[in-house]
Amino acid sequence: MTARTEKMSVIDYIAHRMTWGRFFFWAGLLVFLTSVVFPFYWMFASSFKTGAEIAGRAPVWIPSEWRLDAYQELFNPNWDRYQNFGRNVLNSAKVAVPTAALAVMLSTLGAYAIVRLRFRGKNFMLNSILLIYLFPGVLLIIPLFAMLAQVSRWTGIEIQDNLSILILTYLAQTLPVAMYMLSNYFRTIPGEIEQAALIDGCNRFEVIWRIVLPLAIPALVSVSIYTFMIAWNEFLYAFVFLNSRELFTIPIKINTIFNDPSPRMEVVMAASTVMTLPIVILFFGLQRYLSEGLSAGGVKG
Amino acid sequence: MTATSRVRKFNSMQAREARLAWLLITPVALIVFGLVLFPAIFSIWISFRNVGLSNLNDVFNAPYVGFANYTKVFNDFAFKYHNITNMGAAITSIVYSFVATTMAVLLGLIASLLLNQPFKGRGALRATFLFSYIAPIVSVAFVWRWMLDPKPSGVINYLLMSANLVEQPIALLSTRGWALVMVILFDAWRYFPFAMLMILARLQAVDKSLYEAAAVDGAKSWARFWYITLPELRYVLGAIFLLRLIWTFNKFEDIFLLTGGGFGTKVLPILTYEFSFKLFNFGKGAATSMILLVILVVFMVFYIGFVMRNIEEE
Repeated sequence: MTARTEKMSVIDYIAHRMTWGRFFFWAGLLVFLTSVVFPFYWMFASSFKTGAEIAGRAPVWIPSEWRLDAYQELFNPNWDRYQNFGRNVLNSAKVAVPTAALAVMLSTLGAYAIVRLRFRGKNFMLNSILLIYLFPGVLLIIPLFAMLAQVSRWTGIEIQDNLSILILTYLAQTLPVAMYMLSNYFRTIPGEIEQAALIDGCNRFEVIWRIVLPLAIPALVSVSIYTFMIAWNEFLYAFVFLNSRELFTIPIKINTIFNDPSPRMEVVMAASTVMTLPIVILFFGLQRYLSEGLSAGGVKG
Repeated sequence: MTATSRVRKFNSMQAREARLAWLLITPVALIVFGLVLFPAIFSIWISFRNVGLSNLNDVFNAPYVGFANYTKVFNDFAFKYHNITNMGAAITSIVYSFVATTMAVLLGLIASLLLNQPFKGRGALRATFLFSYIAPIVSVAFVWRWMLDPKPSGVINYLLMSANLVEQPIALLSTRGWALVMVILFDAWRYFPFAMLMILARLQAVDKSLYEAAAVDGAKSWARFWYITLPELRYVLGAIFLLRLIWTFNKFEDIFLLTGGGFGTKVLPILTYEFSFKLFNFGKGAATSMILLVILVVFMVFYIGFVMRNIEEE
């Protein structure tokens, strides 16, 4: 008897609380959540499937076993069809880390000058740098390619298959947004502390090093992560400038695996998982710093 | 000006500050102007020349061809309209970027309204919704290709068949018409979080007393949305729309990775790429990118005008 009244009251409770508005609210959230999360689940799950499961008569929702074959193929040198994916991860890191470090260093100096110092042409400089952020990368790649070919003819520096050249082009893409984000942040730091330090006899570089940088750490963290992400994800420039398989970055390597005459989706998905995981972890871990920069255009695209 | 006064001027506080400023900003300026501004101008020059692989090393002596590249690109590719599934690159570009941007902003608006309600787990959900935007383009594009695969094990075709909407699997990414629809859906999926984030920030700044006053007057939730929320969001919606429109119009990777630019999805960035790095006709590639730039400048003028006008208003 008591059980029955209990049951009634639960239904009553739901009926009482569940209005049409609520129903649509939760249904809407569920639709969004499923459509965002499912592709990532599918990427992750597919990386553990066998070729038979991939090519079966119906989708396999959960792989029968957590098989690491695809990952073995990517990373284990003794596996047949070994892809040496570790080298590609290393190449991506070799490009993305220096890009992030240089972008933060250079844009700190530039943004400081724009915010704190008075000079002619300052607004023109800031505005034109911002405008560049709206420029398409595909427009610049032709003249860059021609220009660098010319430079290579004069100096003998190889421009294709040269990771430093790639870093340089990534800097050109990331510096505008780095400048923008940092100069916005510097404006929120009160100038009086710096004035006091200047009167005490510090020079400008000491002021930047001892006062501005420590105060700007949140902004520096988010700028370095954004520039890292841009370089880590970049496809077009790497695709055009890299020919040698030894130097392929992750995106180009995944594209190569996918376009294999007999593509194996489980390997593509495993490589995609390896590429996505650091980004997602980085983002989730540092979410607090990052969502603000995102609306400032941290990820162009 | 005497020598002493010149020296004094040189050593004045202001002059020293300006010199320091230029010193600090030089590295950024060099990279940005050398690798962005100069190439952009150089691109105009290339678009009037005949540049191929053979004379790429000697590009400054490339033969002048007048508007030949432009007329060729213009008449044969960019504006050649056959039918709705084969529209020419410029029109495809415009259709693609307008529809995809509208959808992304609308989805972002809906998502932000949902997430603006207080409930448990809102923060985690907000972060999760950002996934599609922050994840690497290569990996999400290939997951979509795999989900849209016409094999019986492709998820989307399986669902469509189970729901009896289609009898045979459709090659959604390699059928004219469908391919463009899929690319647009992909972009709406990938970029709605950007709109969501911006709108959410604005929603949280709306004066709560407006809603309280409306509630006192007995306004229904739809009326509150229509007469309070939407007017408050007008500016941010316009700014997001234009910014996303510009970025989507410039997009190369999304379409290249999903369809390779085939099956009625050849937009101007893809055409630029194909001319230059498949056919190695850099002159035509540059001419295509100039057509892209002209349309882009129109959008930019709108954007700057819009943002400036509203900044003055606020």
